[in-house]
Amino acid sequence: MSKLFTIDNSFESYQSLISLYNENSNKVFSEISVELCGFFSANMSAALGAVLDLLSDGFNTINFDYIRGDVESILSKNDFLTFYGRKRAVDIYGTTIKFQKLKPTDGKFFKSYVIEELLNTHVADLPRMSAGVKEKIIEAIYEIFVNAQIHSETTHIYTCGQFFPNKNKIEFTIVDTGIGFKEKVNRRFNWNLSSEEAINWAVQDRKTTKIGIPGGIGLAVLSEFIAKNKGKFQIISDDGFYQFEANGVILKRFVGRFPGTIVNLQFKTNDPYNYSLKSEININDIF
Amino acid sequence: MEPLQIQIVNLIGDVYAVEAEDGQKIFNSITKAFTDKQKVNISFQNIEMLTTAFLNTAVGQLYKDYTEEFIKENLSVSDISDSGIVSLKRVVDTAKLYFKDPEAMQHSINEILED
Repeated sequence: MSKLFTIDNSFESYQSLISLYNENSNKVFSEISVELCGFFSANMSAALGAVLDLLSDGFNTINFDYIRGDVESILSKNDFLTFYGRKRAVDIYGTTIKFQKLKPTDGKFFKSYVIEELLNTHVADLPRMSAGVKEKIIEAIYEIFVNAQIHSETTHIYTCGQFFPNKNKIEFTIVDTGIGFKEKVNRRFNWNLSSEEAINWAVQDRKTTKIGIPGGIGLAVLSEFIAKNKGKFQIISDDGFYQFEANGVILKRFVGRFPGTIVNLQFKTNDPYNYSLKSEININDIF
Repeated sequence: MEPLQIQIVNLIGDVYAVEAEDGQKIFNSITKAFTDKQKVNISFQNIEMLTTAFLNTAVGQLYKDYTEEFIKENLSVSDISDSGIVSLKRVVDTAKLYFKDPEAMQHSINEILED
């Protein structure tokens, strides 16, 4: 029996999911019972879904023995529980951003999903956003999705989000079950970095593992936007934890390892910054 | 001679120029035109979303095979948004540095270990 208590974007929450995976990863042809006993931030469905999918690979059956009432309601609205035999519920308040399980080649589906869930459905929820914020949020989400496509060597990408209107924020989580930052960076350069060091290297401007194609801008651009927006982003990969906020970076190590990478993005929707300012770069002076 | 016009939206069949794979299609067309000694104008008309991953593949990797002077002389862009110009400029500056010193990435480990 695996009980999960409060699951939000705290270090301890990610540790709980890692422990859930590590305690059950050797099981085959077993029943794995999960109880969601406390608050569950709906966007974390992406991380839980990825873990449960990996555990299912051992021909294990996943059972939700208990889900707290309000959590069951929100996870039925965001479609997560429909992947586990439950009925879909209607989201009257329009605060959910649906759980999706995509193949890395499903870029076109991801586009429809982003447009439907972030641009069309929630237009009325986001009237206070200043010019360009919504576009910057979508651009940031895309940079992370494309990173997972290019680098992770995953079979699936899991995404989910949640609007928190009272807190003026959106959280969006993108998860892969691929090789992780440590393996990718160390393999490319024959280094021996820890997970935290590998993540910390990769988020620096102009750092890339690609060969023959420049890169390493996406995560740096994301950091700059998050700093202006006063949001937060976290990367959980293998046993490494990285958190970026305007006031600093936190690096930590988990007990056990997450089998892939979680990127959790937190955006402020009451951001007054105008991102639509005219560029001063001359179009004839780019190259 | 007028430069060859490459309409991104037409070539990739999408108003979202976001995936590296689509960037490769643009890169292939540009290099084909350069091989045929044609100047190229890339039109971003109707493009609604851009990522640096797309731009790195479409434009950044040109600096591997062509000099800065050649690219300046033979490549231009049009109908690009202000945010697109900022991203493209950043991609181009990064590409120049990347190909100027291919070993720099290998040595960059020191930057984090010295922190």
